[in-house]
Amino acid sequence: MNHTEQIRQMPEYAELTRARKKIVWPLSVAVIVAYFALILIIAFWPASLGAPIGEGVTSVGIALGLGIIVYCMVITGIYVTYANRVIEPLTNAIRQKAGALK
Amino acid sequence: MKLKTLTALSFFTAAALIGLSATTFADTAAKAPVNVTAIVMFLAFVCVTLGITYWAARRTKTTADFYAAGGGIGGFQNGLAIAGDYMSAASFLGIAGLVYMSGFDGLIYAIGFLVGWPIVLLLIAEPLRNLGKYTFADVASFRLQQKPIRILAASGSLVTVIFYLIAQLVGAGKLIEVLFGLSYETAVIIVGVLMTLYVTFGGMLATTWVQLIKAILLLSGASLMAVLVLAHFNFSFENMFVAATNVHAKGTAIMAPGTLVSDPISAISLGMALMFGTAGLPHILMRFFTVKDAVQARRSVFYATGFIGYFYILTFIIGFGAIVMLLNNPQYFADGKLVGGTNMAAIHLSQALGGDLLLGFISAVAFATILAVVSGLTLAGSSAISHDLYATLVLKGKRDEKKEIRASRIATVCLGVIAVLLGIVFENQNVAFMVGLAFCVAASANFPILLLSMYWRKLTTRGAVIGGSIGLLTALVLVIIGPTVWVDAFHFEQAIFPYKYPAIFSISAAFIGIWLFSILDNSKTAKAEEAAFDAQFVRSQTGIGISEAAEH
Repeated sequence: MNHTEQIRQMPEYAELTRARKKIVWPLSVAVIVAYFALILIIAFWPASLGAPIGEGVTSVGIALGLGIIVYCMVITGIYVTYANRVIEPLTNAIRQKAGALK
Repeated sequence: MKLKTLTALSFFTAAALIGLSATTFADTAAKAPVNVTAIVMFLAFVCVTLGITYWAARRTKTTADFYAAGGGIGGFQNGLAIAGDYMSAASFLGIAGLVYMSGFDGLIYAIGFLVGWPIVLLLIAEPLRNLGKYTFADVASFRLQQKPIRILAASGSLVTVIFYLIAQLVGAGKLIEVLFGLSYETAVIIVGVLMTLYVTFGGMLATTWVQLIKAILLLSGASLMAVLVLAHFNFSFENMFVAATNVHAKGTAIMAPGTLVSDPISAISLGMALMFGTAGLPHILMRFFTVKDAVQARRSVFYATGFIGYFYILTFIIGFGAIVMLLNNPQYFADGKLVGGTNMAAIHLSQALGGDLLLGFISAVAFATILAVVSGLTLAGSSAISHDLYATLVLKGKRDEKKEIRASRIATVCLGVIAVLLGIVFENQNVAFMVGLAFCVAASANFPILLLSMYWRKLTTRGAVIGGSIGLLTALVLVIIGPTVWVDAFHFEQAIFPYKYPAIFSISAAFIGIWLFSILDNSKTAKAEEAAFDAQFVRSQTGIGISEAAEH
């Protein structure tokens, strides 16, 4: 069994790939869906974005647009927090075990 | 000896600049009023950055230093430098100008330029750092054949870099012409000479520091302007929007999508180019190799996204501020048009807000911004030539630090000359489409190859080369026969291809091509490439075996 195979057999490695999948795909989909939803609204129902919120002139579109900018920052924040808490300890454990194998 | 050359060149550049500004004082009455603050600030920026280049040149000895600043940049610093690389004068002045002109439409661009960043963080940054050394071609060719993949990746990089560079240089020339009263050619040559000096002598270390200083200047300048605008409206967005819709000719229509995106295909296409193009820009990808490991790469994107998002919110506020404060102010208009075009909205606003002092500061910041972005681009272009083409094709993979560094310096000078010449040739062309084209090529060639090489086991050299070339060519051809080039530049009656933004077609063509020619590939090398995936994936996930940029 070579070095790669030994790492692939580690329970921590299975956990690492699972932990990554669990966060990476949902967050990627969340960004892509939110962005293209806005793009599709712009493409097909542009007028709906001009509707004012309440009594003022601030429109739904402006609020959504600025909201997506903040949303992107929040998504990166969620991932980094999760990665530091869950992914890093697993990678460190794998690295230590792999170092001991040599 | 090199340091002496740098000192001499820097001295000449500085002397030439001072001479030029002196003559500018003498005979610019006809062109633009000379702003002493702008010139003093700009000269200070040039002196400081040349000083940094001198310092960096003494520390740039190996290829690791030249391409990756020795790998010793921290996550926060790199995040700020990435933001510096990404926040171009085009996006500062361009988006503010677009908001000034049509409100909400400017926001569409701002969002598009930001949404690629979470994707870079989630899918690209960490495996990229774990697998590569200096360029994204390192990653794409990790388990595939070096020669064809590096040629393809370098072509994608160079096309992206050159289009982006021309767009920035033409914008720079125009801007400096208006701001400092220099002639267009002089302005382009000054920018070209400075960027070549930074990169040739200081490599990635100097480029990084130029980015950091520029990012801090730009963020503080834009913050100051946005705060002054908001203070005017008692820090209420609603008050600002009310005032803007009252004075704008389009009234409340500026609060909704306008004419920027005319049909669904163009809307989706533009969205795809901006989102996936960000993840394929060579000068951005290259920055991830300046940090130690995947943890720092992750931190870099987190900070970069924060700074860039914050910056776009500022430009949005600045655009609305410009609507309210410029539209009723005849001094900024000539023949019913904004002096210098809508791209000057942010610049005029700085004068309306803070007089000549703020105008000078923001002008100098805009100039610094241009210089920093073109330096990052030039470095990425010269690395593609020296690390991907020269080292693989001429040195045939034999490591020779000295030759490779010399090649990258020669490549930098050549790129500088080519960029300046093209910048002068394109003076009177509308180059706005070139940034779009750069993003489109990055999204259609660089991004698919990079993404699939990291995540798709069955990718083969044949598939990547054929599919990647299809993506690259489709993007180029469709832009040329589309309305922006065929009608606007070549003046034909009707475009052969009806859409302005071809990304939806070229990205799909690239992915389908790569997929099809990979699964049809039954060669022996294809089997070996598939078998090598597991080892690559383990390294991309864990970072075990990661290249340390610093050589021991």
